[in-house]
Amino acid sequence: MSERPREDPVFLAADALDGLAGDLIAAGTEVVGPARADEPASPAAAAAAAAAAAAGLDKDVLEYRAVSRAADLALGPGMPRLSLKGLYLPQNEALFAWRQRGSDIEIEPAPTGARTRVVLGAKPCDAAALAIVDDVMNWDYADALWNGRREATTVFVLACGVEDDSCFCAAVGLAPDGSRGADGLLTPVEGGWLVEATSEKGAALVAAHAARFGAASAERREQAAAFRRTASERVATHLEIDADSVRDWIATHFDDPLLAALGVRCNGCGACASVCPTCHCFDIVEESDGLGHGTRRRCWDTCQSHKFTLHASGHNPRADQNARFRQRLNHKFAIYPLRFGEVLCTGCGRCARACHAGQDLVEILGAIDVAARRPDTVDVQSPETPARTVGAAAPASER
Amino acid sequence: MTTPRHERPPATIYEPQLVTVVDTVDETADTRTLRLEFKDTGLRESFSFRAGQFGEYSAFGAGEATLCIASPPTRAGAIECTFKAVGKVTTALRELNVGDTMGFRGPYGNWFPVDEWRGKDLVFVAGGIGLAPMRCVIWNVLDRRDEFGAVTIVYGARSVADLVYKRELKQWAERDDVTMVTTVDPGGETADWDGRVGFVPAVLDEVAPAGGDAVAVVCGPPVMIKFTFPVLEKLGFTDDDVFTTLEMRMKCGVGKCGRCNIGPVYVCKDGPVFTATQLKALPAEY
Repeated sequence: MSERPREDPVFLAADALDGLAGDLIAAGTEVVGPARADEPASPAAAAAAAAAAAAGLDKDVLEYRAVSRAADLALGPGMPRLSLKGLYLPQNEALFAWRQRGSDIEIEPAPTGARTRVVLGAKPCDAAALAIVDDVMNWDYADALWNGRREATTVFVLACGVEDDSCFCAAVGLAPDGSRGADGLLTPVEGGWLVEATSEKGAALVAAHAARFGAASAERREQAAAFRRTASERVATHLEIDADSVRDWIATHFDDPLLAALGVRCNGCGACASVCPTCHCFDIVEESDGLGHGTRRRCWDTCQSHKFTLHASGHNPRADQNARFRQRLNHKFAIYPLRFGEVLCTGCGRCARACHAGQDLVEILGAIDVAARRPDTVDVQSPETPARTVGAAAPASER
Repeated sequence: MTTPRHERPPATIYEPQLVTVVDTVDETADTRTLRLEFKDTGLRESFSFRAGQFGEYSAFGAGEATLCIASPPTRAGAIECTFKAVGKVTTALRELNVGDTMGFRGPYGNWFPVDEWRGKDLVFVAGGIGLAPMRCVIWNVLDRRDEFGAVTIVYGARSVADLVYKRELKQWAERDDVTMVTTVDPGGETADWDGRVGFVPAVLDEVAPAGGDAVAVVCGPPVMIKFTFPVLEKLGFTDDDVFTTLEMRMKCGVGKCGRCNIGPVYVCKDGPVFTATQLKALPAEY
């Protein structure tokens, strides 16, 4: 279900976007959005990119990054390779620094003041993840670093036209035009975007830059509605599950052979967790800065790693990869819903696109849904993949 | 518990409080107890916790280790931790001397419902360093001795050298209001050993404290817990009256970092104290 925008829509012309971004940047705000990734970092990556270009297979790789002008924003189709997560939970960050003074220690706290930031054109699934992860980041103990960045950031999502058949936001209760976790919604229309503020923060941004916006004509409203309708209808065909049944089945079938069968291809690289907008597990490590001073840092971690649960004694409660893959499914679709009332997944599909072993949540959730709702039809040796048969999605190359 | 009053509150939930090592005791060749005093005077006076809670202990330069608070809440002013030097952080903690500074975050997690045990007989069954979390409860109970019925302690280790808190084992044995049974695994005895020889579950079976209106607290290596539960059941203890405390690898201690999940449970927030009923409902991923 998409959250219906509260404010009356306005129109942002394509050529007014640069002015808006310029105003924000001039006021000291960092403007972030999907943009072409920087040049390949390694010679091998550069060679691969050149080869892909020569074969006509090159495709813009997008990432969320700060831009200095609106022309650098890629506000169209295309899924940034990493989600918005890193803006709020950086891949690694200092929690505090310490310095030894004799037998005493001095602690220099991490700065909790976050810089003001506006995200333009985020994927709705990526913004929704922020609202979902808010639950755990404020579970009795508030994470000031996460919360500070949430407060300092205004997010305008761009209604999504649906990327490919790995997208399944509708199956987890979201929508390609959803504004959960966001402050406003942009929808592409002729000559620009229809803009709706969906929070106080979003409305304040529109009001503060009112001169950059114009009236939304009835024609453009109709264009926006048509765009959203098409996307919603399309993504709905990719996967249909009953999330409550899936939750209850996973929670009560810990040792079911189906879970082991579904995990068998996983080799624990953890790419799925890195690209996931909702995976938030982290490690806390010590980094020595020299003799007698250092930094305590936290960095992304994944339950897919052997070391995640390894005890100092050598005992590992999750000793094999099947157990670790089961944990991932469990945390996302049973533990989190049981604890916080919603699945820890936004259906962005990045895990399926990133997995070099072909693990595909669309197939896996489909198989579990079948097991949960029609238990007699499951063949454990070859789990049914209803998503691919139900879905009438065309191959990505035809889009 | 009272709300702690910091002179300088931490900026984030991940920032430790500084503590001074005020005493060290070598329990065994590789196990040490540290007594710690908060540097923050406001916190030193206001810090409180319940028996069974844990903390994250920082060795600056090495990292944090998750350990229970091994001293009882009835003895304020300082906290103690006992650990075996097996990993990077515990090895670094063992290098610390009196006067050195380390870090502490906590108290975290739930606790043993000691107040609900009033009037009941209490049986403590511990193995090896599993006595550390239980020592907190034992002293807590002994400091309020007249509120409880008979107190039985069955404690075992692989060898005489592996018994921790030796001075306190003697103190408990000398009390006439405690039944203290100490045992070592076969082959672990010395020539002058006057305790029992045998594995903890078998010795518990011989001592045979009665279940019924009684509570058992069990902590030790997984294999000891596995064989102790059936003995307790045989003695008439219901699963709701058998408590244990789980040790899982943790980082944050506050329900964020995700690694202490066992099935639906976050050990740091829902535990570390569980009844046998709760434990048996969990997947065997601990």
